[in-house]
Amino acid sequence: MPSLKTILVAGLLTGLSCEAAHAHAVWFAQRARQTALIYGVGADDLDSVKRFNQIEKMAGYDADYQPIAATPRIAGPIVLVDTDQQPTLLSVVFFNGIWSRVDGEFVKGGRDEHPQASLAEKNYKYSVSIQGPLSKPIPALADQVLQIVPVGPIPEQHGANLTYRVLFKGKPVAGAKVINDLVNDPDQAPQTSGADGTVTLPVRNQGLNVIEAVYNGPTDDAKKYDRIENSATLTFTLAHAPE
Amino acid sequence: MTFTVKAAFALALSTLVAAPAIAHGFTKPQHGGIVTTSGETLFELVAKPAGTQLYVIDDDEPVNAVSMTATLSTEIGGGLKTVALKPAAGNRFDGPALKLKPGAKVAVMVIDKASKARLGGTFIVK
Repeated sequence: MPSLKTILVAGLLTGLSCEAAHAHAVWFAQRARQTALIYGVGADDLDSVKRFNQIEKMAGYDADYQPIAATPRIAGPIVLVDTDQQPTLLSVVFFNGIWSRVDGEFVKGGRDEHPQASLAEKNYKYSVSIQGPLSKPIPALADQVLQIVPVGPIPEQHGANLTYRVLFKGKPVAGAKVINDLVNDPDQAPQTSGADGTVTLPVRNQGLNVIEAVYNGPTDDAKKYDRIENSATLTFTLAHAPE
Repeated sequence: MTFTVKAAFALALSTLVAAPAIAHGFTKPQHGGIVTTSGETLFELVAKPAGTQLYVIDDDEPVNAVSMTATLSTEIGGGLKTVALKPAAGNRFDGPALKLKPGAKVAVMVIDKASKARLGGTFIVK
């Protein structure tokens, strides 16, 4: 007969394993030649229009990483990004609400609404997209609480390794869970960032690459939620062969 | 000369490798400038002493410059600046004269006034 300790540990592990490390995220991608903000996971390109008001901030940056205006715009069933000049970077801050796990399912609302919840969390999603050639390393962007930056130049060919550094509040953070293809391989086993915040992964695609990091930060309102789950994506594109 | 089936197969393979995967569209400058492509859009930048010209061809068709706005961003006078380009004849947009050194990056964007559709790209001067 298993001991109480065994049952508790097993139960805890089961609970942890049920928790998806990489759930929905936001990222920028091209749709009909325009830059769109995508909300989804894997091949699921979900309803970003319905979530339009959850976009807290969108920004663009020029080649010197000075801010330029970037505005989200609903265009039919998708959300496009308007800029008046070609950006080098785009970024977004997206609030995904407060969720509680009740009877194994996530429901909207915090612990104040669901006192029996086994977990309550606030969710923020961040994204940075590389839209033009980089002249210098990408800095920590003030509004990106969690951010992935490439370390060194981005290779021209897929398959080559690239080191990424995960920043939490602008500082390298250990323990972030990182995958290198949220769109085509969302269930892959994540790598964990080291003490210097880095993780090295092969670049998967000769096309769009969506890297995702997830890191749980401390709560700022313990009565409502136990933690803040932060998701950050970094997107960049490798050019295909000349036509 | 020995020309085996194996050699012929190897030649066929090399031809396949050399052939573009999806060949279509203009990829070469039409006005003596430098080009950059984004998807099916070709941008050509021509730097002349009197001014800079940007030509845009979209899916093999010249755009109608007067129906669009255009900007160009690059290092000007020691700092990164963005200037508006004026629509000119056909698919041409005109801007100020630029001294572009090797390695200079020139980002351009054109915006369709009616649809708000944006087309952008970045030249790297060699």
